[in-house]
Amino acid sequence: MRSIRLFLYGIPAALILLLIAAFVNASFLSVAKKNEMSIGTIGEPSTLNPIQQADSASGQVAGFMFNGLLKYNQDLEIVGDLATKWELSQETTFQFVSDEEAKMAHSTLDGICREVPLKTSLAGKLLIIQLQEPGLKQSDELEKILIEKNLHPLPFPPLEKGDKERPFKAEPIIRFTLRKDVRWHDGAPFTSADVAFTYHAIMDERVASPSSSDFELVSSLETPDPYSVVVRYKKPFSPALLSWMQSMLPAHLLEKVEPAKWAEIYNRHPIGTGPFKFGNWKTNEYIRLVKNPDYFRGSPWLDSVVFRVLPDPLTLQLAFQTKQVDFWAVEPWAVQGVENDKRFDLFSSAGNMYNYIGWNLERQMFQDLRVRKALAEAVNIPQMIKYILYGRGVQSTGIFTPKMWFFNPKVQPLPYDPKAAAALLDEAGWKVGPDGIRVKDGKRLSFTLLANNGNDVRRDIATLVQDDLRKIGVEVKVEIYEWSVLLKRFVNKGEFDAIVLGWGLGNDYDQYAIWHSSKTHPEELNFVHYKNTEVDHLLTDLRQEYSRPEILRLTAKLQQTIYADQPYIFLFVPEGTSVMWKNSYRIRRPGSQPGEWIDSPVTMTKAGWNYDMEWFYRAEYSPKIPATATIK
Amino acid sequence: MISFIIRRLAINAGMLFIISIISFFIVTLTPGSPYPWGELNPKISAEVKANFRKKFHLDRPLHEQYALIVRDLFTGNLRSIKDDRPVMSRILERLPATVALNLTSIVISLSFGTLLGVFAARYSGHWQDAAGSFIAFLFIALPGFWITYVVVIALVKGFGVPILGTHSYGINFPSALASGLDTLWHLLLPATILALGGIASQSRYIRASMIESLREDYIRTARSKGLSEDFILYKHALRNSIRPIIAGIGMVLPALIGGAVVIETIFAYPGMGRLGYEAVLERDYPMLVALNFVVAALVLLGNLISDLLSAAVDSRVRLE
Repeated sequence: MRSIRLFLYGIPAALILLLIAAFVNASFLSVAKKNEMSIGTIGEPSTLNPIQQADSASGQVAGFMFNGLLKYNQDLEIVGDLATKWELSQETTFQFVSDEEAKMAHSTLDGICREVPLKTSLAGKLLIIQLQEPGLKQSDELEKILIEKNLHPLPFPPLEKGDKERPFKAEPIIRFTLRKDVRWHDGAPFTSADVAFTYHAIMDERVASPSSSDFELVSSLETPDPYSVVVRYKKPFSPALLSWMQSMLPAHLLEKVEPAKWAEIYNRHPIGTGPFKFGNWKTNEYIRLVKNPDYFRGSPWLDSVVFRVLPDPLTLQLAFQTKQVDFWAVEPWAVQGVENDKRFDLFSSAGNMYNYIGWNLERQMFQDLRVRKALAEAVNIPQMIKYILYGRGVQSTGIFTPKMWFFNPKVQPLPYDPKAAAALLDEAGWKVGPDGIRVKDGKRLSFTLLANNGNDVRRDIATLVQDDLRKIGVEVKVEIYEWSVLLKRFVNKGEFDAIVLGWGLGNDYDQYAIWHSSKTHPEELNFVHYKNTEVDHLLTDLRQEYSRPEILRLTAKLQQTIYADQPYIFLFVPEGTSVMWKNSYRIRRPGSQPGEWIDSPVTMTKAGWNYDMEWFYRAEYSPKIPATATIK
Repeated sequence: MISFIIRRLAINAGMLFIISIISFFIVTLTPGSPYPWGELNPKISAEVKANFRKKFHLDRPLHEQYALIVRDLFTGNLRSIKDDRPVMSRILERLPATVALNLTSIVISLSFGTLLGVFAARYSGHWQDAAGSFIAFLFIALPGFWITYVVVIALVKGFGVPILGTHSYGINFPSALASGLDTLWHLLLPATILALGGIASQSRYIRASMIESLREDYIRTARSKGLSEDFILYKHALRNSIRPIIAGIGMVLPALIGGAVVIETIFAYPGMGRLGYEAVLERDYPMLVALNFVVAALVLLGNLISDLLSAAVDSRVRLE
């Protein structure tokens, strides 16, 4: 009997005592923090192999361990990372009917070449010219000169459907010179063989790399010596330079292993070149990286960085408040609560992402621009920003967001004007019917608006739109589906009336995949079936344009043209806000001179407050300065 | 006895086969399909998608997909769509934390539930019993996530104690004891909250069967012999009331690895529940089939153990 009572009362009593002891321990834990940065992430990275990842969580972690040949600086200009130098040039080839004509063309152009130094060479019927600038402009000019002299180069067949036939072949070339002081985390030197390997791995279909479309136009990649890489492209494609921000993989570890085995031997404990090395990974709990004291720019100040998987947004906030994570991406509704709190440093900036409502332009009712314009004018976007984003956002004026360097600030947002909207609908023949809903040719102006489950912003948008449009006699039925269902059943097949979505596209001005009329097939991204020949030309020209002013002219026109067509209601660009405990971190990054360091508080830059995060240091672990260093 | 076990194992193998077919079709016929590239990703070309489908056999007819999944499952080659790792190692790495959480929670709910049940039975009809019932039904009725949020917010706002994950981060622990207690705290807190519903229902079971036992003839006999009330309560009544719980202990097996999605998500606890939930959202077919299979196998094994235990405890039960 005694043993029964012991069990009956003893176990609960022991449990209660343990709980109390553990609680007391937890509340009195020393505040002696390690020299470790703790970052919370909602999703768990799927892989740390930079050529196989497509989710932002993976990218964030891998960013600390890897380098690309190029990177953005804090003003979002392209600078070298593993490459010290990169030179763009182009090889233009003219083809003639006969060797003689080619020779004549050669001597004709040679005459000009005394003023502009061009390198030309002959190969049978081919005349090959080395240009210092990629793009089509110079080649077009050369062609004009040849035609003036009555020399007619033969056309080359177009590479892809939709390309123009041209009388020359233009092949841009990028020459990279690599840093010589870079080593992989296992000590092996980084060389051009790694670059070549990374490129071939991305193109290997067994790898199924999501980056492969970036490199499709590469015709060859050569490595004349261990520190040079020469990449040749099939045709001018200016966004290609950005693709060399791609993180590099170590050839010496992966070359001899078939890609199916990478998951075991590499993807969860990778070797990179970056400021931090892989430490350990406990699935769905954390990934810890430790500093790489041999980093080619110098050892980072932090001992380690830990990424904690915290799947619930509310607990992420609680983790921040108990100093278990150091930063907190604040939801719009919570910003007011921390804005004037002296304990925090706040970093806010307009995001790269915009929300929209896409019309299925295959549906007859949306084919009339007046209808689309009326629907856009009837939606109260400023009110949406006020209620959904708590004022933390700006109205979108098209496919680019204000943060991007190629954004066109001259595009004016459509005003909220329900009266004008009603008038437009009347004009388009949609008259108010007996039940208050507009009718034309016996059809009611009624459609289904889709949104995805789990995204409160989109759900709220759908509700407000429904309300706004009812006021001008348009019936909206809202349906919410799980993301993968939405994609498979409606978006991929193009079977929907209207849909609430968002695009977050980074700093690439190339939106060919979203707006070109050839991209309307199932599973492609122009699922609204937008077709405009002028836009098609702009998109193609933009891809072939290398000069910055020209790019700006084209993007300005592109943004304006698409906004005028209103294939979407362009809604708003939400602002992102992050907080950290006041002065808990400072940043000391390498300056332009060797041995020079620039020390500053964490501040907002064009590339974000967390740019150069590898150079953050904790205020209580102020880094010891080498004697040779100077600090600005 | 041995022939019984062999026969049951054979039947179970057949059941598992049927379960695997059903679970495969439920999983693959659910609307939606895997899209492991985040939200609509403009860089994903048709070729990438085609390669991806080929790699995971998604381009084959369903019956072939099923055959391939079963083959890979048994040869250990079945890989998760999310990270291309073998599904079994993904399941196994979750096991320690999951078992720790569920075992602790089962211990808590059994011990507190029994104590409260005995208490309620002893004072049955009195206000103590009514109060106990009220609290028990309150815990059964309140949604788990709500209680969790209330407790979590109170602890964090009121005391600033870290609660997430399996231990505190970024802290130099002064001693091994502090570090051990910290880990214990991160286990006991979610386990206690997870156990609340269990305590409540367990106490109701015990109370009911105790009250029933206390009406039995042998109790009257014991009373008439002049035995003390405590002796009767613990030695006679409780022993007889606890038998159904022992018989049901086989069901503990699936519960040990079964997940608790809500608690795991809120506490950022790396358990099996989140694994399954995330696999559903990602349409990670291989992962889901493997999970269903493992859980089904454990349920069947648990049933078998239950039956054997019943026979061992209760001589009236015969295994034929």
